[in-house]
Amino acid sequence: MAVPRLAAAAGRSGRGGSRLAALAALVVLVPVAALLAACGSGASDGKVTLRFVWWGNQQRADVTEKAIALFEERNPNIQVDTSFSDYQAFFDKLATETAGGNAPDVMQMDYRYLNEYAGRGVLLDLGPFVGKQLRLDEWNQGFANTGRSNDKLAALPLGQNTTVMAYDPAVFQAAGLPVPTADQPLTWEQYRDAAQRIHDANGQVHGVTDFGMNEDAFEIWLRQRGKALYTADGELGFAKSDLAEYWRLSQRFRDTGAATPAELNTLVVSTGPEQSPLGRKQSAAEFTFDSTYPAFVQAHGGELAIAPYPADSADNIGMYRKPAVMVSVSARSKHHEESVKLIDFLLNDPDAGKALGATRGLPPNLKIRERISAGLTGVDKQIFDFEAAIDSKLGDAPPAPPKGDGAVHKLFDRKYQEVAFGRLSVDDGVNQFFDEAEQTLG
Amino acid sequence: MAVAEPAVTSPVQVMTGGRPGGTRGSRRDRGGVAYLFLTPWLIGAIGLTVAPMVVSLYLSFTDYDLFNDPQWVGLANYREMFTGDRRYLQAVGVTLRYVVVSVPLKLLLALAVALLLHSLRGRGQAFYRSAFYAPSLLGASVGLALAWRSIFDRGGPVAGALGVFGIDTPSWVDDPGYALWAIVLLSAWQFGAPMVIFLAGLQQIPPDLLDAASVDGAGWWRRLVSVVLPMLSPVLFFNLVLETIHAFQAFTQAFVVSSGRGGPADSTLFYTLYLYERGFADFRMGYASAMAWVLLVAIAVITAVLFRTSRLWVFYGDEGSRR
Repeated sequence: MAVPRLAAAAGRSGRGGSRLAALAALVVLVPVAALLAACGSGASDGKVTLRFVWWGNQQRADVTEKAIALFEERNPNIQVDTSFSDYQAFFDKLATETAGGNAPDVMQMDYRYLNEYAGRGVLLDLGPFVGKQLRLDEWNQGFANTGRSNDKLAALPLGQNTTVMAYDPAVFQAAGLPVPTADQPLTWEQYRDAAQRIHDANGQVHGVTDFGMNEDAFEIWLRQRGKALYTADGELGFAKSDLAEYWRLSQRFRDTGAATPAELNTLVVSTGPEQSPLGRKQSAAEFTFDSTYPAFVQAHGGELAIAPYPADSADNIGMYRKPAVMVSVSARSKHHEESVKLIDFLLNDPDAGKALGATRGLPPNLKIRERISAGLTGVDKQIFDFEAAIDSKLGDAPPAPPKGDGAVHKLFDRKYQEVAFGRLSVDDGVNQFFDEAEQTLG
Repeated sequence: MAVAEPAVTSPVQVMTGGRPGGTRGSRRDRGGVAYLFLTPWLIGAIGLTVAPMVVSLYLSFTDYDLFNDPQWVGLANYREMFTGDRRYLQAVGVTLRYVVVSVPLKLLLALAVALLLHSLRGRGQAFYRSAFYAPSLLGASVGLALAWRSIFDRGGPVAGALGVFGIDTPSWVDDPGYALWAIVLLSAWQFGAPMVIFLAGLQQIPPDLLDAASVDGAGWWRRLVSVVLPMLSPVLFFNLVLETIHAFQAFTQAFVVSSGRGGPADSTLFYTLYLYERGFADFRMGYASAMAWVLLVAIAVITAVLFRTSRLWVFYGDEGSRR
């Protein structure tokens, strides 16, 4: 309304046209100028700002912030902005940001997504920095190279991880069960029996969290049978009968209440320990990673312990040294040098190592691992002791999963939920899983 | 669009028609000024709406993963949608169920509360109107959806209240048989916007009509059916169209209640949620674009059908003179 009247008023005066044009130009240009100014801000004072993102929980955030503060203290010209979220939300957001060309400078990376991102050329090749800004001489070289994708060093492990069974020892003892330990894993049948006895002793608690939706647990189960999730060519490395057998096993657990029922499992894969049955004290044991274990302890609030997965043969427990939590630099970052400096600090600085402890697994730098192992307490000590006890039984990591594994991981959860809610039979679920997984992996 | 249109035409009218004595040249100059004023809007409309739509139409015929150049695949995306994608059909089913239940439920609630408030007439009407409108202000916010999740969660107030009556329900948000209905209720609860429009419509009904009906011995119900509803039908139609379009585009509630996955077991896999997942999690922007276009066309067709049928039941009060 105001616009026409203004235009009419201006039209009446002779010189109004040009004044009006200037006004209009102002209206158009001011926001544009403001926008440009906003884009350019931050670089004016010579200080470099890096963005570093990771998935995890508050406990991991606290120790990471401590390490970051040390880094900023030593590098006054670099400021590090951080943010974190739970796993699924992290990768949804990272995908969107990467697609939009706004990837963070430094990002935590999962082994599972390594080929997905590296294959699209969005991760910086760290190879040229090794031996200079990036010191890897105190590392196990095989482990240091797990982040290779197509001959480029696209990521470095932030920790050495392995799958663990986190459990509540008090509930085990209350049910009159011996506590599982690192050197003597339960067989799957003993595991089911223990879970059943826990549930029978206390109807409110299920023995274990259902594991049918858990692709990571399935991988260990496969490895115990000498198979793998993927072949060397990136195709599914197991048969339909394997998956059917696995889902029938978990169904046996679920049918009698030994494992949690379907409606308690809907968020296990997609969110964090805060939403999962063990974290909410609805079950007494759950399969997870050592790097996620501290978050379980925090969510649960009581005493927890870790043991290896159940295995029918004590010689082949299927578990391996996994670089589950890695770190990468965005190829599009404007600050490659500073970003590499930050990851070198997180990986190789003794003080950073001390601050971080085992929040992302065992430090990959062997000197640091040795140096901090003496002074550990609490959860960090539990993780270190556990890994020391089973180290000789751990295998080497399989090659990074093919592009598409992130989607297959979600598909696994989704199909199993349909089976668990009784909407699909095990066989139909397996068939649909194979159809869709093969389509995804192309 | 409707808001912007007067702004497009009126300055030009003022410029050209307002001063018939002006010369051709100066008229063109002033037209130019008008367009200069319009540039922010034009840049916005072209840059943020028209151009992305054209690009998305092109992308819908390609395989595009956001990082590499789009590859032309013709109609393959559309074909896959209707023949090879089980989840797509699931998403269509979930969305249709949601629209068909949530829109009438919401409008019914809005109308009922509007009638109630209208009968209050000044006695605290303003207060109650605001109170009933408040949930709509919260909109599709994340915090609200989270609160909703905990209300319907195992051990939450809903399960507790039903338990008092001996009705044993599982956690609504974690059971594929219930999860969608929790989201339907969330949407129905936010009936504030149509309610306010209904209320305005009710206040437009001439009191003489109602008085005349009363004199003829019509009771409350008869007056509602024979006078109020016909007089209100244009407003009802407007609300119906608007809410239907909104319902097809529902996203946030389902995203938060299901932690972004459309779960449990795909029971809350809304169309938009699946579109988002295909585009941003599976890196299939071509497919997601094709989905967006199918949704656009579907909404257009359904809106057109609503407009067609509206001739049969919407009463604008001038039908008599049109004969």
